[in-house]
Amino acid sequence: MRNNIVKLLILSSLIITSCSKELNTKPTTAISEAEALKTSSDVNAALVGAYTDFGASYFFGGRIFLEADLLGDNNEIDWEGTYQQLTQMHNKAIPVENTFVANSWLAGYTAINDANNVLSAVSIVDTTARDRVQGEAKFLRSASFFELVKMYAKDWNDGNPANNPGVPLVLTPTREITSESQVKRNTVAEVYQQVITDLTDAEAKLPAANGFFATKGAAAAMLARVYLQQGDYNNALLAADRSIKESVTVDGNPVELAGTFAAAFGEKNTPEDIFAVQVTNSSGIQGFNEFYSSAQRGDVLILDTHLNMYQPNDDRKNLFYTLSGSTYSGKFEQLYGNVHTIRLAEMLLVRAECNFRLGSSVGDSPLNDINKIRTRAKLTPLSEGQLTLNEILKERRLELAFEGFRLDDVKRLKENVGNLPWNSPKLIFPIPAREIRANPNLTQNEGY
Amino acid sequence: MRELKLLLLFFGIFLSQLIHAQTRISGKVVDIKTNAPIGGATVSVKNNTNISTATAEDGTFSLNAPANSKLIISFVGFKSLEIPASAAALPIQLSPGETTLNEVVVVGYGTSLRRDITGSVAKVAARDINNTPVTSFESAIQGRASGVLVQQQNGKLGQGINIRIRGASSVSAGNEPLYVVDGVPLITDNLSSNDAPTNALADLNINDIESVEILKDASSAAIYGSRASNGVVIITTKKGKAGASKVEFSYFTGTQNPTRKREFLNAQQYVDFFEQAAVGRGKIDFLNDPTAFANVQEAIDARKAVVESRFTRYSAGTDDWKTGKVNTNWQDQAFQKAPISQYDINITGGNEKTKVYASGQYLDQKGILIKNAYKRYSARLNMDHQLKDWLTVGMNMNFARSENNRLSDDDQFSTPLQVIALAPITPLIDPRTGLLSGSLDLATGSPNANYPTYYNPLLSADNSSYKTLVNRTIGNVYGNVNITKGLTFRSEFGIDQLIQTEKVYYGRLTARNTGVPNGLGSYRTTQVFDLNTNNYFHYNSTFNDLHNLDLVGGMSFQKQTNQFSRADAQDFPSDAYQDLSSGATKIEATTSTTENTLLSYFLRANYKFNDKYLVALSGRADGSSRFGVNNRYGFFPAASVGWILTKEHFLENTKWLSFLKVKASYGLTGNQNIPDFASLSLFTGKGGYGGVAGQKPAQLGNPDLKWETTEGVDLGLEASVFQNRVSVEFDVYKRNTRDLLLNVEIPGTSGFSTQFRNKGNLNNKGIELAVNTTNVASKNFRWTSMLNFSANRNKITNLGGQVIGTSVNKAMEGQPLGIFVAKEFAGADPANGDALYYKNTLKDGVRDRTTTNDVNQAEDVIIGNPNPKFIYGFGNTVTYNGFDLDVLLQGVYGSQIYFGGGQYMSASGSNGYDNQTVDQLKAWKNPGDVTNVPEARLGLANGTDPSSRYISTGSYMRVKSITLGYNLPARFAGRIKMDRLRVYVKAMNLFTITKYGGWDPEVNADYQASNINQNVDFYSAPQVKSIVFGLNVRL
Repeated sequence: MRNNIVKLLILSSLIITSCSKELNTKPTTAISEAEALKTSSDVNAALVGAYTDFGASYFFGGRIFLEADLLGDNNEIDWEGTYQQLTQMHNKAIPVENTFVANSWLAGYTAINDANNVLSAVSIVDTTARDRVQGEAKFLRSASFFELVKMYAKDWNDGNPANNPGVPLVLTPTREITSESQVKRNTVAEVYQQVITDLTDAEAKLPAANGFFATKGAAAAMLARVYLQQGDYNNALLAADRSIKESVTVDGNPVELAGTFAAAFGEKNTPEDIFAVQVTNSSGIQGFNEFYSSAQRGDVLILDTHLNMYQPNDDRKNLFYTLSGSTYSGKFEQLYGNVHTIRLAEMLLVRAECNFRLGSSVGDSPLNDINKIRTRAKLTPLSEGQLTLNEILKERRLELAFEGFRLDDVKRLKENVGNLPWNSPKLIFPIPAREIRANPNLTQNEGY
Repeated sequence: MRELKLLLLFFGIFLSQLIHAQTRISGKVVDIKTNAPIGGATVSVKNNTNISTATAEDGTFSLNAPANSKLIISFVGFKSLEIPASAAALPIQLSPGETTLNEVVVVGYGTSLRRDITGSVAKVAARDINNTPVTSFESAIQGRASGVLVQQQNGKLGQGINIRIRGASSVSAGNEPLYVVDGVPLITDNLSSNDAPTNALADLNINDIESVEILKDASSAAIYGSRASNGVVIITTKKGKAGASKVEFSYFTGTQNPTRKREFLNAQQYVDFFEQAAVGRGKIDFLNDPTAFANVQEAIDARKAVVESRFTRYSAGTDDWKTGKVNTNWQDQAFQKAPISQYDINITGGNEKTKVYASGQYLDQKGILIKNAYKRYSARLNMDHQLKDWLTVGMNMNFARSENNRLSDDDQFSTPLQVIALAPITPLIDPRTGLLSGSLDLATGSPNANYPTYYNPLLSADNSSYKTLVNRTIGNVYGNVNITKGLTFRSEFGIDQLIQTEKVYYGRLTARNTGVPNGLGSYRTTQVFDLNTNNYFHYNSTFNDLHNLDLVGGMSFQKQTNQFSRADAQDFPSDAYQDLSSGATKIEATTSTTENTLLSYFLRANYKFNDKYLVALSGRADGSSRFGVNNRYGFFPAASVGWILTKEHFLENTKWLSFLKVKASYGLTGNQNIPDFASLSLFTGKGGYGGVAGQKPAQLGNPDLKWETTEGVDLGLEASVFQNRVSVEFDVYKRNTRDLLLNVEIPGTSGFSTQFRNKGNLNNKGIELAVNTTNVASKNFRWTSMLNFSANRNKITNLGGQVIGTSVNKAMEGQPLGIFVAKEFAGADPANGDALYYKNTLKDGVRDRTTTNDVNQAEDVIIGNPNPKFIYGFGNTVTYNGFDLDVLLQGVYGSQIYFGGGQYMSASGSNGYDNQTVDQLKAWKNPGDVTNVPEARLGLANGTDPSSRYISTGSYMRVKSITLGYNLPARFAGRIKMDRLRVYVKAMNLFTITKYGGWDPEVNADYQASNINQNVDFYSAPQVKSIVFGLNVRL
């Protein structure tokens, strides 16, 4: 009997020990960091993934541009949405806990970390593709920093950018959280400098044609935006001109204005797109469509104050539509429509404005450039005598309305938003409260 | 696992060598007073619940049991008795009197008599919960056990119920207890694919439950080690009994209604109020941009014109809003007639060798909200067979199928209660089309895009469906071997398999809600397979009639695999086609798998000296796949002692004191309830862009991740006085949780927002009191009472300085979990109607009590606490002849509710055109008005920011259940060949006393409920008030 008990005990202890290797379980839908970036094609896949995060709905997928337009609006639209976070932006009274403010910040830095992962592994990329990969990653990173510094910091021209806190420059991928992860804010000037360096390098390295990914022309266009925001019209002009000349469409043809204004807002890539964020039915919500289209939330109602700015025969006005007495913008009616991030029309307007300001005719005369826009809008061309800076800026305002430019223009042109001057702290996002809690090295913006 | 199966097989062969004697034991059970035989009493072998029988009508029984074993004889209304098997030959005399001290309590891997327990265990018996008209059994134990807080999120069927045993022990890891049914740990994962959780426990048939034991303190729960931090709920199902076979049939049917409703503006009030909101807005428009208007009146008129054109739109394009012709009560439209019926049949029977319990149930329940419905079919077979005199085998097998017609979560325009946002001037049926408002815009031929105010959720009732179908199999097989005197080995092999499909379709008329014009369909499957084995020895022996030793030791292994798939399509030819094959555009195809394993070894020793001194020691080592390789194993020891003072000489002659025990326990328990791969840094392949494959970082891991540990101390006292007329159980406890598994906010500049770390401490301390009394016990009249009272204080002592939480509820140091943090509201400025907030900025330790109208100038402060100060239950049962009446009061005191929906529906008309609650009529109008409702300013969010404006009391007391029953006297029942015939009427949540002004004070907005997010009311359906008539027949 005793013998039996011993046997039994031995046996049961065998049962007991046979399972320990079962504790090593592995995920199937995700892979470890070490496995992820091993080959050239792995890095390329990570680059594609970076576009996904870059194009997230809170970021270049549209919401951050809607946010800018809500902040920059003075009674041209009515906000009827139920998202309090956006109501707060439209009312220019943003609490530091606003989750949209936090989510756009997080989306931006997620895209930046993605790009940093690619850049850190660029040495294993095939030499033939290395420049392109590096160029694209830098394009995404710099465009992200540029968007963040505009929303979360003072404008370039507001005081001294070399003293004003910008956003933290993070240029290496995150592998673990250490005390070094508690980064400080770089100055506005440092952020702009990094953006310009990255974009310049990207423009040099990117190919002219690159499908729907970033191209040489796209980098030049982004650079033109940056210089324009700084009021550096010389460089903005040159960059815009390069972009107009070098940009090609997805099919490899030179970009050209779409036949009609409405056609510039098609579902797919248009002949006018210098760069477009690709949205498909599996990538989720398109941030403009979500709020502007009456078929979606229809939260943004266009008021007469805006509509009255158009001349009666302006074709761009025809893109608005009215339902039961409320008017909506028709620019974003496609449920899974691409975001037409940089259109040729914008670059023509930049070139025209800069040429006009500088009294030059680089690429083409400002009159010709403006009339290209006007002709497409079925307006009569202006004559030399009719062309003024205000006329150019008005054209810009109407052409690019609700595409996320208003706040930037208010600031660079030093206009008012109602009672608020262009440099009011209320027109700048707070640094998200969660971010300051997680990183005490970050200082809060004035007025929050 | 293959090795394991082989070993088990081999083990069985090997065991057949172990021969071991059993004896046939016979006896007779009688009433000690009358000497009348007692039929139907249960006779079981101590520490071996598999061997049991019931006495025949003449009180006799016989069974096979080890000669030296002890028998436990129990019968309702009599004290249980424990005798040596050798004493069975003499008449076994049971004395009357119901005392809980001798009841058998199921503990981890065994049973115990209540008097011997040194830990803290609450028990809820079958008679308290059977035939309760609720979807899930947790609702039935609400208010019946001390230290157990049960909160149903809302009145939607089959959805989340939060249980907290002695408070919340974790911030980011799970806070729900471990559920074990007959040795099988249950899948309790929320498998819902919308934001409202479903309740996997709803698959259990309440009428199969024999008892629910709740292990509350560390020493009783530590045997479940790694998952016991939140307590353990052990569910034991009914077993067969030897003797005459019985068939029991139960049926109830009744109706359900919302517990409460809210009051909203009627058509006239709505029009007047929003005119007022236009004035308030116009004044501000003028202030903001004086250049745009000639004077303030012009700004007001402009705004009024806008509002009135809206009235016309919301009045279906008519002027009816001017006359009050249409006055729609939208709230009433959200509710429906809600019948409930349940049919039950069960059979018990068997002989000495084989015992069977079989049951079937059908529950058919409609929800109080339109479209909500739940059906459940379940069947169970529990069987024991004595294969050899040394070997018993058995199985418990449960199959359940439930069909839930679900609703959108509380945050969706399509959830029925959001219908209250619609204007009362909007007609239910649009006169222009003769269809439900919102169905059709004649101008576009599509559903209206901006009429009524929001998407009409009533359209979802007929034009969408969300069907969740669950097939569930829970069961185990086991073998129990008597190895030698007092030593047994038990091997259990269990599964819990849950297969869920969710079939979702949104028709064309829901386009305004989905954004998809031509139908959107989705099909999602979740398969959870949970495999589990327990193998353990049990040894019990008494030496010299003084020392009793009880040992349990063994191992358990568990492996859970979850497989998920989902496919979505849109563009259907018509709403008649709802299968994805008809969708022209496929937009989603996903599969994923996740898995976790847990390997554990455990040991427990109970020592009892002279039935007086009790000592228990236990330990469990757990290895979990969820943690980093370095910290995979955790060890969870516990110890407890008890002293039965009434066994001492100095108390032996104290007549009034029947029983007195003091006890103390200490132990560690763990928590591993975090996502399966939280310790790993991961990339995901879900990075495709424009049709090109991509990958991206998904998670920042932490290789040092380890167990969250709770250290518990419990001091208790159990007493019984006046011949057991009054029994009292009192406990004081403290639980310290350390190494919190915390989803820590990390700098977003890293590209990640959170990371799991072991950081922080929290504690819970509290007291519990349970009193049972027999107030009157005469021949025909009997009155018993039950009172339980529990107070728990939760406090986070360390979070590394973090404040966690994305809404009003926060986790922060020095405060209880989920504390409400926001601005402190100071009412309306009497001068101008601005919403005012106390600044509360801290300077030299003093808060600045001046007010501001700029919400950003005001500091966030603590404005309330969702955790109750105490909870209680008070039950009374009266029986008189054949009648019985049972009344249970249940209550929560000292908690607060945050009215999250207030920013829209109680927004002083300063948000959208949402209809408002009537209390908003008190809005500021003229200088000098003193009110808590700021001036109505359409769209300007005057006072709608999160603040103490939306805090109110969450205390309530409700008549949780009332049952009035009648049992036909045995002589009449016998005449119609029945053992028992009972009819009853039962009401749940019949009446609620509360100062809360909302729908129901038992609330937790389903779309955001979490450890931190508690007690927020956001269009949450009220609880269900039900009244049923029932019938119970036994043949």
